[in-house]
Formats: sequence, structure tokens, C-alpha cells
Amino acid sequence: MTASAAAPVLEAVGVGYTYAGRTPTVALEGLGLEVRDNEFVALLGPVGCGKTTLLRIFAGFLRPATGTVRCAGSDIDGPGWQRGYVLQEVAIFPWMTVRENLEFGLLAKGLAPSERRAVSDELLGLIGLSAFEAAYPKELSAGMSKMVEVSRVLATDPSLLLLDEPFGALDAQTRARMQDALARLWEHRRKTVLFVTHDAEEALYLADRIVVLSERPGRVRDEFAVDIPRPRSFETRFSARFLELKRLVWEATGARGAPST
Amino acid sequence: MTSPRVRRAVVALAALAVLYALAAELGHGRLPDRIWLGAHYVENVQLLPTFRSLAEEGTFLVESRILLDSIAVSTRRVFLGLLLGSAAGILLGLLTGWAARLEVLADPWVTFFRFTPALALLPLYVVWFGYGETSKVLLIATNVAVITLLGAHQGVRGVPAVYLDAAASLGASRWLRFRRVVLPMAFPTILASVRIAAGLAWVTIVVAELIDARMPSLGYLLALAGAYPRVPTMLIGIATVGALVLLFDLLALLLYAQATRWMERVA
Repeated sequence: MTASAAAPVLEAVGVGYTYAGRTPTVALEGLGLEVRDNEFVALLGPVGCGKTTLLRIFAGFLRPATGTVRCAGSDIDGPGWQRGYVLQEVAIFPWMTVRENLEFGLLAKGLAPSERRAVSDELLGLIGLSAFEAAYPKELSAGMSKMVEVSRVLATDPSLLLLDEPFGALDAQTRARMQDALARLWEHRRKTVLFVTHDAEEALYLADRIVVLSERPGRVRDEFAVDIPRPRSFETRFSARFLELKRLVWEATGARGAPST
Repeated sequence: MTSPRVRRAVVALAALAVLYALAAELGHGRLPDRIWLGAHYVENVQLLPTFRSLAEEGTFLVESRILLDSIAVSTRRVFLGLLLGSAAGILLGLLTGWAARLEVLADPWVTFFRFTPALALLPLYVVWFGYGETSKVLLIATNVAVITLLGAHQGVRGVPAVYLDAAASLGASRWLRFRRVVLPMAFPTILASVRIAAGLAWVTIVVAELIDARMPSLGYLLALAGAYPRVPTMLIGIATVGALVLLFDLLALLLYAQATRWMERVA
């Protein structure tokens, strides 16, 4: 674990959530989680373990049935730019150009056009899309669209990034390239990140710490500090430490068929 | 709007014209020119007028300014009704679509008017607003408003939740989400409803002008031609209304293409 004495940016205590219905589904139960300043945490768990539910609670779209969630010391009360949320679905605005997409949060903040332009210029450069500033999303690849979504959230300078399987729908090669792009972006603009994924390798490549969730109802099953130096590269994926951690994480997720807790 | 589509349209129209010319020439002198009209016989009726007699009739209608004046009067009514009705309908539809509480109030009324033929309101409007422009324009406006209200309502309701969530997460206020997310996403659906409403507005005006029997108007021109009966005038009147509907639709399509450049495909 990273040695940081600072108060956590994100804090969940005893969080439970149940979806109402004819057969109510308990999605989360007694979940506790802390994310510290500038930490990149990956939330790893099987499909349907409540990862997205937890992220929507942090984003402010759902209220936990039990427990408390706090961001930067205050209770989370509805969505807001302070917690930049990248949805699992494609949510880039197709009727806006790439630049307009990047500037939307700044528009909502009431920034002047010149200030907005300065921020979007920087982000366009960082993700290598300067040539596409006036293009509509239909002209972008799925991977680049997702990078625009991540950058759009970064533009408002939130205290926390919530990413819900941003590269889940991509093929392995594109995924690796996007992970590199995200890692570069993150090294440029240090941020507190909570990254949801079901891909152990992705979690290892990107995160400082991996939190493994159990099957439904989701709660924290295990935790791993990823003590692999940055910047990480293609070679990192084949280093001894990486493979060793991968084995541990895989085992923790129950991939071997170990009895689940 | 692409040139192959224009070419196909021209070919289709030309084919129909050729078929009609053949039928008219074959029928010339063979078809009966004396027909029974309910209470009496009418002589000198051209059931399928040839192009020659259509041209003569057309020249007369144009030179006497009957056709142009009728077009001007009827188009003005349709245009005003479309403008008024769309404004009211779209505004209400956006409101009921965006404010869930209003939807509860509006829903039964929308269903009620949706299947009530607006033409049934004509006698009422004549009593309320008299013969003349007001009742006709308002009749069209009512018809248009019902359709565009539904279009706008469904357009707003059809905006995917992911876009609204993403916008809210980026800190957009309700008003900004409405302006920059809901409006652009709902626009294609709204404009599609305006296109349908424009077509219906022409149906409405032609029927409405039968009631207030006064020239110039395309509806009464058709009614007069029917009473006489004078088939060349009828055909020219029908073709004129059709051409005007087409023109309105083309304008709507141009607007649509202009406003939806971001979409995958332009209809």
C-alpha cells in the first residue's frame, strides 16, 4: 500500500444497496473502501458483482441503502463535476464536435470561450487528437471516443475520476493501446482514480492498488498493492513481478475454482 | 437529396406522364362524354383529358390569375397554421416530455385529440371564429399542434439516459442539459413530426376550403371543378396541391439535413 497519511479522497463505509423488484437483488452489502489522494485504484470483480452499482453510488446517481459515502470529506449528494464519471456505455455526445465534447463541462462551469479553448487545446494534444478537433464522434474509433470521454471528464479538473470499464468493449490490441494512452494521461495529470474492470491484467498495468470484489452481494474480498514502478511499458506486462501478481490476483478472484467466500 | 434520388424521381414522374398520355389518347373519342350525375346528365365531360386540353385549361387558369391567386391564398393559410401549430405543439411537447408532472396532466388529452379527426372541429371553429381566415388557420394549427406535440414529447422521452447522466456528471444544470442535450437529440424526431403535420395541413386546408365556398382558394377551385364537372381543372388542382406538398417536404428535408450533420446517415 502507498504510504499516504492524507485523509481519503473517497470513502465508503458499510455500503449496501438492494434493487427493488419482485425478487429484490442485493447488489452490495457492508462494503468498505478508501481511495487516497492521487491513488489509482482498480476495482476488480466478476460480472454482476455490483461494481457499476458502487460506481453509480459514488457518482451520485444512486443513494446507498445503508452506510455512508463521502468524497473529499463531505457526503455525496447527487451528481457533480467534482467526481468525474465515465460511464460504461458510449456517452460521447454525437451531436457535438470533439472539441465541443471536451469543453462541455467547462461550459457548464461558466468558463469563457478563451479559457475553455486553452483547456481543450491541451487535452487534444495529450490524446493526440488535435487534427480531429472539429470532427464529429462518428468519425472516431471506439477507443478514441472513449479517450475523449475520459479527457472530457478531466477537463473540469475533478478531485476524483470514476471510470467504469472504459475499455471493456474493445479488442485486446486497441485495449492495450488505450491503457497506454490512459497511463500517459494520468502521469501528466495526476488524479485520484477509481477504475472498474473485470480484467486482472488491465488492473495490474494501470493501478497502484487492486481491490477485489466478491460475487453478489459485492463486498471487498482482497486487496493488492501493485509495487511495479512507473512508467510502465509493454515489457512490464511480461516482467516477473507482473506475472507473479497476476497469479495472486487471479487466484483471489476465484478463477481457479476455489470455493467462494 | 442526392442526384440518383432526383434522377429516380424524374424517371418515375415521366413514366407516369407517358402512361397517362397513352391512356388519354386511346380514350379520346372512345370514352363516354355524357355522364349521369345523381340527378341529371352532364354533357361534354372529358373523363381523361388529353395533354392538349390540359395545356389549354392550364393556360387559362394561369392567365386569368385564378390558379396563382388560389395558390397564394391556400399556401398562406397552410404556412400560418403550420407555424402557429408547430410553435404551440413543440413547446407543449417539450414541456410534457421534460417535466414528468406535466405529462400526467397532458397524457389523457393528448390521447383524446390524437385520434379525434381535427376536421370534426371545423363546424365548431366556424361558429366560434366565423367563416374566413381565422377558423381555417386555427383548424390547421390544431391539427399540426397535436402531431408535433406527440413528436416533441416522444423526442424528449427518447433521449438516451446515458447522455443525460454524462451531462449531469459534468456539472450541467437542468436548463443546460435541456438546451444542449435534449434539444439536439430530440430535433430529428420533432422535425419528422413537422413533416407529417405539413402533409396533413394540406389535406385539412383543401377540405376546410370546401366549407367556406369562396374564391380564390385551391379547395374551392377543386369543389367548383367537381360540381361542374370539369376534369382538366380538377387534375391541375390536384397536381398543384401535390406539388406544394412536395415543395414543403423538400424544405423540411433541407432543414433536417442541415441540422443533423452529426448523425451517421442523413435521411
